[in-house]
Amino acid sequence: MKKTNFLFLLPMVIFIGLFIIYPYFNIAKNSFTDNWTGKVTFQNYKNIVINPQYFRAWKNSVLFVGGSTLIATLFGSIIGWVSIRFSERVRNMVSSLFALPMTLSGLVVAFAFIVLLGRAGIVNILIKTVFKSEGFGLYTWSGLLIVYTFFNIPLFSIIMMGAFEHLDISLVDAARNLGANILQVWIHVIIPALAPAFLSAISLVFASMMGAFGTVLALTGMSRPLLSLLIYSNTSESTFNIPQADVLAILLGITTIIGLLLLNWLGKRN
Amino acid sequence: MKKSIWIDLVVIVFILYVIVPILMPVIYSFSVFWQGLLPKGFTFEWYRIFFSDRNTKPALVLSFMVAISAMLINIGIVTPAAYGVNRVKGQIASFLENAFMIIPLLFPPVVLGLGLVQTFNKPPLNISGTIYMVMIAHSILGFPFMFRSVYASLKTIDEKTLSEAGKSLGANLFQRMFYIIIPNIIPGILSGSLIVFAISFGEFEVTSIVSGFRSQTLPLVLFQQMGNDFRIASAISAFLIYISLSSFLIITYIGRKYQKGKKV
Repeated sequence: MKKTNFLFLLPMVIFIGLFIIYPYFNIAKNSFTDNWTGKVTFQNYKNIVINPQYFRAWKNSVLFVGGSTLIATLFGSIIGWVSIRFSERVRNMVSSLFALPMTLSGLVVAFAFIVLLGRAGIVNILIKTVFKSEGFGLYTWSGLLIVYTFFNIPLFSIIMMGAFEHLDISLVDAARNLGANILQVWIHVIIPALAPAFLSAISLVFASMMGAFGTVLALTGMSRPLLSLLIYSNTSESTFNIPQADVLAILLGITTIIGLLLLNWLGKRN
Repeated sequence: MKKSIWIDLVVIVFILYVIVPILMPVIYSFSVFWQGLLPKGFTFEWYRIFFSDRNTKPALVLSFMVAISAMLINIGIVTPAAYGVNRVKGQIASFLENAFMIIPLLFPPVVLGLGLVQTFNKPPLNISGTIYMVMIAHSILGFPFMFRSVYASLKTIDEKTLSEAGKSLGANLFQRMFYIIIPNIIPGILSGSLIVFAISFGEFEVTSIVSGFRSQTLPLVLFQQMGNDFRIASAISAFLIYISLSSFLIITYIGRKYQKGKKV
């Protein structure tokens, strides 16, 4: 029996090994080579210390991803909480609707927000005519943060809606009856009870944001550099330098792992 | 009474939050002119230009081929894997479960693409810049979605008991597979593959890295048109939205049908 189980797993294990793990070894190996001569070098690693452009991109990534994750956590948790009062039919409808952004191309979402919030977008026309003010800047960091909520809040909400469905409401009622206010209920009842769901939702949004760049590229090109965007530009644009992209990919991987471990540690401590 | 109105309002806000942005490219693609607050006129012109462009047909064909292949690879590889994980016990099972969930988190599309382009650009497997590379990359992006979908179905049908029953009636592994297990988890397989299809069809990030100039999928054409002609870009965006929407409608339909079947 054991042998057949192994055979069922084998194709996927081979596929992952050949097309994910093995290429990653190549990333690690090639990061020590020179793009033009192919000789062994540490220059690519030195570059990320010397060249402030890389540090800035790393800082941008951490701040942008942190901000996005925070916003998604806040709204996603509230939506999960509100969903307790939904009927099963409504909950199913909302969660299947919320799965939609996940499959949409980042470019389509960029297009949608240009029409909605861009310079000549309808929201800005409204703001300009009603408030006579500057309007909203889609092509700024805060604009990008808002656009990415379209992916992240629904994603976070789906996980939380599933978790809240299984929350024992009598715990919340008991706490309320004992005089706990809403904040105390969250801190002492809801968050500990749903800790695994919070942890996996936060990790999912955090890690997927670390690698995201499509929508940013479509909206602001290279003018808002992120680590992921620099990897892309070193891979497929005129600034072609694969070994340098490899180093950036490793930096991205280390940052993601540290972030995930930190989250895991926080989750265990609570 | 008061409370239920409040809830309805909240639900409407949630629905609008997703629907309003999605509607923008669609409205744009049908309007003659949209500079002010409201679009003006109704036209199919942008679709006509898009579909009559000579680059459109190859891109469409390619996108469909890639998405269908990614779907088939996922069915062929991930379904047995989910079955295997469901079969093994204890710590190994949870290790495999975690591994299949965490690996995609650690290897985002951009890193996946970066690894693939520098690994398969020489013999024995020189497929860099070809459609096969795009298919492989898209299949990998679909893994977690397919796995979750099939694995969840296997959990809900209590596959082990069913298989035991089949075994005691004399069914061999092959018969149990095709007469008991697959018919029971087919909704999970179908929903999983449709998500894979939809994701593949709209994928831009890994595609832009691994595909060469020879293999342009629809999102890559969209990227060019966004800087080129916003009208045609609106038609392509809307088309991609229709693909996602139809996948989701079918998934919802399958889910409903299966739910009803279970209750009867």
